[in-house]
Amino acid sequence: MIRKELVAASAEPLILSLLAKGESYGYAIIQEVKARSDGKLQWTDGMLYPVLHRMEHRGLIKSRWAESETGRKRKYYSLKKDGKTAMAKHHEQWSLVHSVLAGLRKEQYV
Amino acid sequence: MFDLEQAISNWRTHMLVAGIKTPVPLDELENHLREEIERQTKSGLSETEAFKAAVQQIGAAQVIQNEFRKVEAIKEDRRWQLVQIMLVVFTGLFPILFASAGFSKHGVFWEMTPGQRIAAVAAAAAFSLLAWSGRWSYRLFPVISTKRTRDAIHLAYVLPVALWWMAFLCLMLPHYDFTVGQLFVTLPWALFPSMGVCAGLHWGMETAARKKVALARS
Repeated sequence: MIRKELVAASAEPLILSLLAKGESYGYAIIQEVKARSDGKLQWTDGMLYPVLHRMEHRGLIKSRWAESETGRKRKYYSLKKDGKTAMAKHHEQWSLVHSVLAGLRKEQYV
Repeated sequence: MFDLEQAISNWRTHMLVAGIKTPVPLDELENHLREEIERQTKSGLSETEAFKAAVQQIGAAQVIQNEFRKVEAIKEDRRWQLVQIMLVVFTGLFPILFASAGFSKHGVFWEMTPGQRIAAVAAAAAFSLLAWSGRWSYRLFPVISTKRTRDAIHLAYVLPVALWWMAFLCLMLPHYDFTVGQLFVTLPWALFPSMGVCAGLHWGMETAARKKVALARS
């Protein structure tokens, strides 16, 4: 299981990256993160919504209520222009951390 | 016999008691809960088991509410920044606009003597100074963290001031036969300082509360 600090830090870039593929809603976002991480990235489901609301307040994403195919009302989130910029920044920073870590790991085996 | 709708209704009440607001985000959380129950029942769990698992998965109401409170605090900070900008602009422009109107040769002001004009503009300046003195002396104000208590205190001094305004304008002023010049000195001095005291108290108390919160966060 991944440490909760890392889970918290990765929430925003993951949400932004998922929404870059198209609009989605809370439950679907959580299910996709679980599926893509083989269940290793576990969020407490309810904690996703304050994150989404904070991101919406910061102007990174926007939301709309719509009816799902089953007739249930869902709140769909989609990316805004500032969200795309923030996502690019996140990718750059996480890539940097990843490359530093990978480089250091490589050196250990030389 | 387990009643799913009743269980969800009880869960909603529990969330409301913890402070989660309705309809948003409570409806959003309820939708999530229902989707998870649906998924769990499809995978073979009974309604009771699915409900228990979904409630556990969604998390404790108080923990979620604490996170929402942080979001509200960010929103509140932004709102306060906006109010502060408005206060700075208004208290800065008010005496200037009043002075430019007071010293113009047009309108009713031409009837005023230079002394009356200075007195009228001084009242506008007093308003701004009183408002700013609240901001500058925020350290002297008590730190009241609860917004509801602060709002009650604000109301406690705004109400008498509003009553004073009404009493002055409706009961006292009609008994005097002022010239235009006298009226434009009396009115500002009767109204502006009390307005300045209100603005100053509000500015000081809100600044004191927010500085403490900022200190606690750092």
